[in-house]
Amino acid sequence: MTVQFRRHFLTTLVAGFAVLHVAGAQAAVSPLELVGPISDYKIYVAENVRKLAADTRAFTAAVKAGDVEKAKKLYAPTRTSYERIEPVAELFNDLDKAIDSRADDHEKAEKDPDFGGFHRIEHGLWVHKSTKGLNPVADKLLADVLELQKRLAALTFPPEKVVGGAAVLMEEVAATKISGEENRYSHTDLWDFQSNFEGAYKIVELLRPLVVKENKAFSDKAEANFKVVFDTLAKYRTADGGFETYSKLSERDRKLLAGRVNTLAEDLSKLRGMLGLN
Amino acid sequence: MDKLNEPVSPHRRRMLGAAGAAFAGLAATSTRAAAPDNGAQVTDAPQSTHTQDRVPFLGRHQAGIVTPRPTAGMIASFYVLAENRADLERLFRTLTERIAFLTQGGPQTDPDPRLPPAGSGILGPVVQPDALTVTVSVGASLFDERFGLAKKKPLRLAQMQRHPNDALDASLCHGDLSIQFCANTADTNIHALRDIIKNTPDLLVLHWKQEGTVPPIPAVPGKPAESARNFLGFRDGSANPDSADGALMDRIVWVQPGSDEPAWAAGGSYQAVRIIRNFVERWDRTPLQEQEAIMGRLKPTGAPMDGGKTEHDVPDYTKDPEGKATPMDAHIRLANPRTKATDKNLMLRRPFNYSNGVTKSGQLEMGLLFICYQANLENGFIAVQKRLDGEPLEEYIKPIGGGFFFTLPGVRDERDWLGRSLMSA
Repeated sequence: MTVQFRRHFLTTLVAGFAVLHVAGAQAAVSPLELVGPISDYKIYVAENVRKLAADTRAFTAAVKAGDVEKAKKLYAPTRTSYERIEPVAELFNDLDKAIDSRADDHEKAEKDPDFGGFHRIEHGLWVHKSTKGLNPVADKLLADVLELQKRLAALTFPPEKVVGGAAVLMEEVAATKISGEENRYSHTDLWDFQSNFEGAYKIVELLRPLVVKENKAFSDKAEANFKVVFDTLAKYRTADGGFETYSKLSERDRKLLAGRVNTLAEDLSKLRGMLGLN
Repeated sequence: MDKLNEPVSPHRRRMLGAAGAAFAGLAATSTRAAAPDNGAQVTDAPQSTHTQDRVPFLGRHQAGIVTPRPTAGMIASFYVLAENRADLERLFRTLTERIAFLTQGGPQTDPDPRLPPAGSGILGPVVQPDALTVTVSVGASLFDERFGLAKKKPLRLAQMQRHPNDALDASLCHGDLSIQFCANTADTNIHALRDIIKNTPDLLVLHWKQEGTVPPIPAVPGKPAESARNFLGFRDGSANPDSADGALMDRIVWVQPGSDEPAWAAGGSYQAVRIIRNFVERWDRTPLQEQEAIMGRLKPTGAPMDGGKTEHDVPDYTKDPEGKATPMDAHIRLANPRTKATDKNLMLRRPFNYSNGVTKSGQLEMGLLFICYQANLENGFIAVQKRLDGEPLEEYIKPIGGGFFFTLPGVRDERDWLGRSLMSA
């Protein structure tokens, strides 16, 4: 999501549900029918951010205790709750940058003093195999996550952002994740894929009754594509419920995932318009 | 480049006519700069009289092979994601439908502004054909176990092999399917590429692409056409077989009915693509006579080294058996020794120059997007490249990518589609 886009969104935040009144002229779905799915989504986000806060507390505690092995083990699972709710978590540009930016978002890359958050800790744990110097980074990460929780609780969820969020997650995977560049030190990318897909699927699931009314074939096709991506990732599940490293992903499955993700991105990009949202 | 086609060209032509007078150009330039008398604005779109150039889509052969090469070209290579024959057929039918629209042009409407637009819109609401051709070819990997097409593979289609001077980068090689885009402007090619990507998300994934250009030259009435220059500064295309000669093209370019190739392949052609980096800084520091000896042609005119005035003059190697005029290892002599025996090695070249950026060493990353077509890949590109292996030019060039593909036969009528003969064979 671009900064401009985010800024634009924040100005429309206050509008909340007002937007529904001007939209939906041609749609069979009434704007009020979106109220249910959106509040359900808000609950989903609240649950995830609560889990994120608890997991981040444990993760950062391990970092501060200098327990590299434990911290490495907690890294990928901790991120999953963040990755599921990324479309709304990203609405707060300052926090997203602090929590989840990558080295190449910063001018001096890994050496940049502004490089913090999950990936800064990932870099320390996997590249330096150490927690040296990570204490303040861990403190900041936990504080940022708690701040995110606070802000999300106060947020009125704009329907077009929630509905559009499913496509946003797919766009992110397609544009910057499928190559394995997100978790470049730990190679835990498949965890993130799974969570991004789950987050997108949650939105589609909540909207399904409405989408089916508009276009059943569309809904069936999205369902089938989600099934393929989940089935493909399931092949890389490990016995402990985690995932193999990204390097284990076969070339063929990577292409398969890329194709399905592109198709879902293409199809889900029509969801907002289909449900009469601006 | 479109400036050459500007309606104001009489003025320009006078300028070019006076080019022999050293400072005439400078004077004219400064006059123009000082007095933009027609009120033109800096961001006005450059005007072209060629946006409505239209290359027919239907035919025995696909367009974009014997079609005169326009300024801008691109090769895009894809992985095919189709998982069964029905999906593969859907891919071919979708490509047919999109290419028919893109090459012939027309309006693209968006009735519901709440939905993403149908196309990128970079050519405006009415797509202009701009001489676009889109040529679809298939790689050897499409004939693997996925679609049960193994027995239908063209006899000579195989994955491109490494030659001794190659430094092939896997991310720039091969592919299940190649699409060649050619048009008057690069934007038209990009528009077509984006349209195809948007319409085939579950069927194709882009693997690599390379764009290139051909520098236009001033039109000089009454003089024969000349070949464009490559980034080594030499004419590239001299001695290409006459692409307007249908019988010759049947012999050199098109797979013929009744040949040893599968029957479905008749009307198709083998496409060889090579991304050949040129070390231009080093080349530019090489003495002119050495450059000419390496190529076997005079640089300014393209004339052969044993006499003649133009690139159209044919060298007579029988009178130069020891290579005193044209060295035995000169590029053009190795590529085409002009003997009876090597007549079968002719092919139709259709290259573009590419320029991508800067290497880690701070040198220009540029070269030749070499594309050629032939009815017999082994007799054509492969045989010629084997003769060229070890040539002195290798010091200045490095093939880094490309692939071998088979260009499907043409779409004959409105009911036909690309790949139909393959899929129903």
